[in-house]
Amino acid sequence: MKRKLIFADFFRNNGALMGSILIGLVAFWLIVLVILPQISMLDYSFRFNLPPAEQGGPKDVYTLSNYQHLIYGSDETHQSFNTIDLMVFLRTIVAAIMVTIFDIILCYPLAYFLGQARGMGMARLLVVLLIIPYWVNEILRAFALRIIFGDGGLINEALMLLHLTSEPIDFIRHDIALYAGLGYAYILLMLFPMYNVIESLDRNQIEAARDLGASWTRIHRRIVIPHAKPGIASGSTMVFMLSAGALATPQILGGPSSLWFTQLVYQWFNNSLNWQQGAAYAIVLLVATITIVMTIMKIFRVNMGDIGK
Amino acid sequence: MKSPIVSRIALGLYFIIFFGYLMGPLLVMSVSAFNSPSFPSASPWECFTFEWFSVLWHDRHIREGIYYSVIIGLGTVILSVSMGLAASIVLTQISARLRSVYYTMIIAPILIPGVVIGISTLVFWDRVGRFLGAGEGSLLDGLFHNGLFLTILGQSSFIASYAMLVFVARLQRFDPGLTEAALDLGASHTQAFRKILLPFLRPAIASASVLAFLASFENYNTTTFTIVDYKTLTTVLAQKVRLGINPSISALAFAIITLTILVALASEAYRRAAQRKEAVWQGKVARPAARLWPAWLRGNPAAILFVLLSFTIIVAFGVAQRYSPAQCKIAAREAKQAEIQRSIEELRARRQEEAPQAPAPTTDTAPAGSGAFGNVFAPGNLPGAPAPEPAPEPAPAPDAPANGAFGNVFAPGNLTTGGDN
Amino acid sequence: MSTGVAVDLENVWIKFGDFVAVREANVNIKGGDFFSFLGPSGCGKTTILRAISGFLDPSEGHVRIGGRDMAGIGPNKRPTALIFQNLALFPLMKIWENISFSMEVRGASAAERRKRADELLDMVALGGQGDKLPSELSGGQKQRVAIARALCANPDVLLLDEPLSALDLKLRQHMRTELREIQQRVGITFIYITHDQGEALTMSDNVAVMKAGVIDQIGSGKEIYDAPATPFVASFVGENNVFRGKIRSIDGTRATIETNRSGVLTAEITPAQRGKMAVGDAAMLFVRPEALTLAEGGTDTGNTISAKVVNEEFEGNTFSVFLEGDGAKPIKMSLPNTGQTRIAERGKPLTLHINPQTTVIMPAGELASD
Repeated sequence: MKRKLIFADFFRNNGALMGSILIGLVAFWLIVLVILPQISMLDYSFRFNLPPAEQGGPKDVYTLSNYQHLIYGSDETHQSFNTIDLMVFLRTIVAAIMVTIFDIILCYPLAYFLGQARGMGMARLLVVLLIIPYWVNEILRAFALRIIFGDGGLINEALMLLHLTSEPIDFIRHDIALYAGLGYAYILLMLFPMYNVIESLDRNQIEAARDLGASWTRIHRRIVIPHAKPGIASGSTMVFMLSAGALATPQILGGPSSLWFTQLVYQWFNNSLNWQQGAAYAIVLLVATITIVMTIMKIFRVNMGDIGK
Repeated sequence: MKSPIVSRIALGLYFIIFFGYLMGPLLVMSVSAFNSPSFPSASPWECFTFEWFSVLWHDRHIREGIYYSVIIGLGTVILSVSMGLAASIVLTQISARLRSVYYTMIIAPILIPGVVIGISTLVFWDRVGRFLGAGEGSLLDGLFHNGLFLTILGQSSFIASYAMLVFVARLQRFDPGLTEAALDLGASHTQAFRKILLPFLRPAIASASVLAFLASFENYNTTTFTIVDYKTLTTVLAQKVRLGINPSISALAFAIITLTILVALASEAYRRAAQRKEAVWQGKVARPAARLWPAWLRGNPAAILFVLLSFTIIVAFGVAQRYSPAQCKIAAREAKQAEIQRSIEELRARRQEEAPQAPAPTTDTAPAGSGAFGNVFAPGNLPGAPAPEPAPEPAPAPDAPANGAFGNVFAPGNLTTGGDN
Repeated sequence: MSTGVAVDLENVWIKFGDFVAVREANVNIKGGDFFSFLGPSGCGKTTILRAISGFLDPSEGHVRIGGRDMAGIGPNKRPTALIFQNLALFPLMKIWENISFSMEVRGASAAERRKRADELLDMVALGGQGDKLPSELSGGQKQRVAIARALCANPDVLLLDEPLSALDLKLRQHMRTELREIQQRVGITFIYITHDQGEALTMSDNVAVMKAGVIDQIGSGKEIYDAPATPFVASFVGENNVFRGKIRSIDGTRATIETNRSGVLTAEITPAQRGKMAVGDAAMLFVRPEALTLAEGGTDTGNTISAKVVNEEFEGNTFSVFLEGDGAKPIKMSLPNTGQTRIAERGKPLTLHINPQTTVIMPAGELASD
C-alpha cells in the first residue's frame, strides 16, 4: 500500500512518459547490469565446470568444490592447504591495505596545502598539473614505472652512479615496482576527495584553534582530520578497492613469480577456461574487499553517503 | 626562529618528492619516446628520433584498438550518462526513508572490483543467451557474445555511478520550483524536462560525458574479460607491454600527455575568457580595445600557452618530416661497436693471462663470447632468458629500425621480459 | 477579458501519512474575487494552493474550478497560473522567453510570442527589458515579470504564494496597490496566500483565516476584524486585548463576563458563537486598542476597568499606552494624537471605558502565539 503510494507520487511528479523512462533506465541499470549479473556469477561459482553437452544434465548440480579448491587446492582429502593461492590472497589484501595507508600519508599534506592555499591561482595550477597523470592510461603509467625500475632504468643507473649498489637491483622481482606502481596508479583518487573536504573547512576554525594555543599537531588531530574524515574514508575506500582489484599493474609490474589475486581469477578464466572456478575466486575477492571496507567504515563511523563526495 | 626554515625546507622536499613521484615517470617515459634505443629508456641518451611516432602510426593493432575504444566509449557515454542522469533525478525525489538504501545501491558499482564486473557481465549474458535458447551462431547468441556489446554494458554498469555523482552535485543547486512553474504554465512533463531541467544540466552532461568517455577509454580490468575477440587500445597496450616493449608506447603516452595538456589549457583559457567577458559586462574591467592582440588573448596566460604549444606541435610535425637521425645512429653504432671490440680485446687479454690457471676453452669466439657478454653487459640477468644471444653482427643495415641485436644486448631488461609471463 | 471563474473546495482533506495538513476545508470563492488565505507559517495554506494548482490531489473531497471537478487533472492542464514564493523565473531564459513560455509549450511562433511578451511587459511597466536575463533585474522587476508570465497563460485563476515576502517594506506596500490594480484590470480570480494580515486586509475582497490546517473563518476583511469567529482569529488579525473569565449572564446578543482580575464587563457575543455559550462557561473578551477610551473623571458608566500605566509610546498618529493587564501581557490602548503632550505618567491608575458594541465575547480558546 505504502509502496504503491510512493510510485503514484513519482509518476504524478514526472508524468507517465518521463516517469517510465526514468524508472526504466534505473531499473535496467540496477537489475540487468548490476544485480542479475552478480547473482548469476554467484550461481556459477557453485557449479561444476562441465562440457556444454552435460550442462543442465544430471551432473549439473550445486557444489562447494570451487571454494574448497581455494582452501585445499586439488587435494581431495582436504589434508593440506592450498598455500599458494591462499598466500596470494593474503598478500593481495595486506598489500592493498599498505598501499592505501601509503597514499593517505603521502596525500594528506598536499591535500591540506591545496585545500587551505590562500592564492587560488597557485592551487588551480597544481590541480591542473595533477590532472595530467590522471588522464594517462593505467597501463601507460605502469609502463612508465617499468622504464624507471628496469635494470637499465633511471633508478638503477642513479644508484650505480652514486655507488650505492654495484649491481642493478631487481625492483620488479622484489615487488617494489609493483607497490610503487599501485600507489602511483590511484594516488589522485586519494588526493581529490581529501582536497575537496579540506577545502570546505572554514579557515577561521584553524585560526581560532591556533589563537587558543593549540599546537599544529593538535590542530590537525582535533580539527582538520575530523573534518576531513569523510574525504579520507572516500579516498581510502577507492584506493583499497581499486588496488585489491587491480589487474593491469600487477600484470605489468609484478615479478615473474609474484601473483596478484586478480591474476588468479584471470588465469582461471582465460587460460584454464574454468569460468566456475574463476567466478568463485571473484566472489571471494568481492566479499572480502567489501567486508573489509564495511568494517573499517564502521570502526571510523563513516557513512556510505560520504563515498563519492 | 629555526623551525620556520626547517618546516619550509621539509615542505619543499615533500613537494619535490610528491611531484617527482607523480610526474617523474611520465617525464622519463616522454623522453624515452625520442631516444633511439629500442628498449625505452631516457639514459643513456643516444640519438634524438621521431621514428617511434612513425612506428606507432603504422601499428595496425593500436589503430584498431583506438577505433574500437572510441566506439565503445561513445556507446558507454550514451548509456551511462542517461542511466546516471535518471538515477540522480530519482535520488532527488525518493523518500528520505529509502534514500540511503537507494544511494548505496547506485554507488556500489564503483566499489565492485572491475574484474568482478567483467566476469559477472560475461557470465550473465552467456546465461541469458542459453535461457532464451539462442543457438550457436544465431543472431542473439552473436549479440550476447559480442565483445563490443558486452563491454559497453559492463563498463556502463559502473561508469553510470560516476555520471550520477556529477549530476547529483549539479542537481543540488536546482530549484524544483522551476519545473513546477513550467508545468503550471502548461508544459507537459516531457517539455518541462527538455526546456527547463535539461538546459540547467547541460554543463553537467558535458562533464559527465567527458568523464565517462575517459573512464571507458582507459578501462582495462572489466574490458579484458568482456571484450572477447575484439581489442581496445588498453588491451592492445597491455599485451604489448607484457610481451615486450618498445618506445612506440612511450610515443603514445607522450601524445596522450600532450593532448591532455592542450585540452586542459584550452578549457582553462575558455574559463578565463568567459570570466573576463562577464567582468567586462558587469563593468568591473574596461572593455579591451582590440588592437595588437585579439581580445581573447589578453590577460589570459592559458590562451597564450595554448597557442604556443599548438605552434610548437605544428613545427615539430614539420621538422619530423625532414629530420633523420640516420647519421647519428650510425655514429652511435660505430661507437658501440668500438666499445664491444675493446671489451672483447680486454677479455681476450685477461683470458690469456688466466689461461695457465684454468683449462683453455675449446673454441674461442662463440660460446665464450655469449657468456662474456652476459657477464659484462647484463650481470645476473640471464637466468630468465633461455635463448642465448648471438654474437653481434658486424654491420647492420643503417635503415632498419633499431630492432637489431644491439638493443637487446645492451638493454638486459628485455631478457627478463621474455621470461616474465 | 475573462470575468473570472469560481473556485470551490468541498470537504477537502489533505494528509501526508499520519499528518493532516488540511482538515475539512469548505471554501467558495466567487469568480473575479481577490481571495486570501491568511495564517501563520505551517498552517496549511500553501498546501491548499498546491491542491488548487494541481501539484497534489486532496486525500478526500473535491476541488472545482468553474464548476468542473479537477480530480486527476495535472497542473499543466488546469486553468490556473501560480506565482511562486521565490518567483521561479527560468534563469537561463531571457525575460521575454520567460513571459511567453506558456505560448512556447503550445507551439506558438517566436514572433507571436515576442509580440505578446512585449504587450505584457508594457502592462507591468517593464517595456524594453525583454532581452535581459532574470539575474539582471531588481527584486520588484522580477516580481512583475513573474506576474506577466503568469498572466500570459491567460489563466482563469491566478494563484499567488506569498510573492511579496522577499521584498523590502516600501516596495511591498507599493506592490500591494499594484497587484490590486492589475487584478481589477484583468478581472480574473486571484487567490493569494500570505501570513501578513496587513496584505490580506488591504488587498482582498474576502479572507480565509487558517490555523493548523483548519479554516477558522471566512469573510471580508471588515467582518474578520470586527467580528472574529474564534479567539485565534481575534488575536491573529490585528491587535487585541484579551480578558479571561466566566460567563455570568447572557442577554440576547450580549453577555456579561466575570473577568479574573478586571471586574465584570459586558460585550456583544461574536456572531459565529451566538447560542453556543451558557452561563458559567469559560470565555474570553477581546477589546481592540482603539475601542478603549479614557472614562471622563467620576462618570462611571459601568463597563470600565482600572489599571496602572506601565509605559507609553508615541507613534506619530497615535499614542500607545500600556497598562498592567489581566495576564502576562499589558493592556494596550491607542489614542489619536490630538495635540496632547502625553497621556499619563508611569504608575498612575487610569479608568478605561469599554464600548460594548465594538467588543466581542466568545468561548475560551487557543490564541495566536506571537
